[in-house]
Amino acid sequence: MRRGTEIERLYDGHAQSLFAFLLNFTRNEADTRDLLQEIFIKLARESELLSGVRDERAFLIRLAHNAAIDLIRRRGTRERTKENFAAERISPFAPTNDPDNKLFREEVAFALGELPEEQRAVVHLKLWEGLTFEEIAGALDIPPNTAASRYRYGLDKLRERLRPLYEEIK
Amino acid sequence: MNEFEQKILRQPLKKIPGDWRAEILANAESAAVRRTMFASQPSLFSTFNRQLSTFFWPHPKAWAGLAAIWIFIFAVNFSMRDKSPQVVEKIAPPSPEMLVELKQQQRLFAELIGANDLREADRQKLFLPRPRSEREKVLVA
Repeated sequence: MRRGTEIERLYDGHAQSLFAFLLNFTRNEADTRDLLQEIFIKLARESELLSGVRDERAFLIRLAHNAAIDLIRRRGTRERTKENFAAERISPFAPTNDPDNKLFREEVAFALGELPEEQRAVVHLKLWEGLTFEEIAGALDIPPNTAASRYRYGLDKLRERLRPLYEEIK
Repeated sequence: MNEFEQKILRQPLKKIPGDWRAEILANAESAAVRRTMFASQPSLFSTFNRQLSTFFWPHPKAWAGLAAIWIFIFAVNFSMRDKSPQVVEKIAPPSPEMLVELKQQQRLFAELIGANDLREADRQKLFLPRPRSEREKVLVA
């Protein structure tokens, strides 16, 4: 029963963040669901996994990131996955009725989809999770400088890609 | 954070579908229960280990002593076996004097038995049954 309560607490506390991260990473809702399921099964089976972990969110993001990378590797080449991301155009953003916002979100989603996944992961964690580069480095198992440079490159590409639309709706 | 980043950040992300929670948690829970069940089923090795410890438990010192004796016996056995080839190597080949002495003894022994018997025996040894074809060859030669 205790484990049930613990797993529920983890779900309620972190599932939304993991969902957003995985959806942005995989651009596929079914894959996101499978990965979330995989993570929570792992957590339920290995109750000692989180013992001694200081930052639960960072640890869970690392689990999610590793699971997503494994999925992509299982699926095939990176090029093929990128093509799928671009082709599907599944948005990680909430729907809206405002036409300007709708267009902007679609374009941001598409531009994000064009980024390499390692840059997309850093941009997501920095912007929507509000993590520092040290925290991102810890979550993705990369040096902080690498996290910072990936963010800079990713953001530059987004800015370049979205400049005309951004200037228009600013 | 600049204006562009702020603008992107203001775009709200999709919410996780509400119906996922029950299913994901139920699957996670049942997976954990299955694992616990598997873990509680004793493996063959653990059963063997348990039976062995039950057998040894009443007098552990006695069994340990017995094991020590066996180890000692094995050690002695191995150390002796190691020496035996060295002994063989150390034995020197018989000297020519010894060989002469040995031949003299053999001759003496032959005389004691009787030379005629020995000759008869030698003759019998010389006759070896051969195939007919070979016998013919011997005759022609």
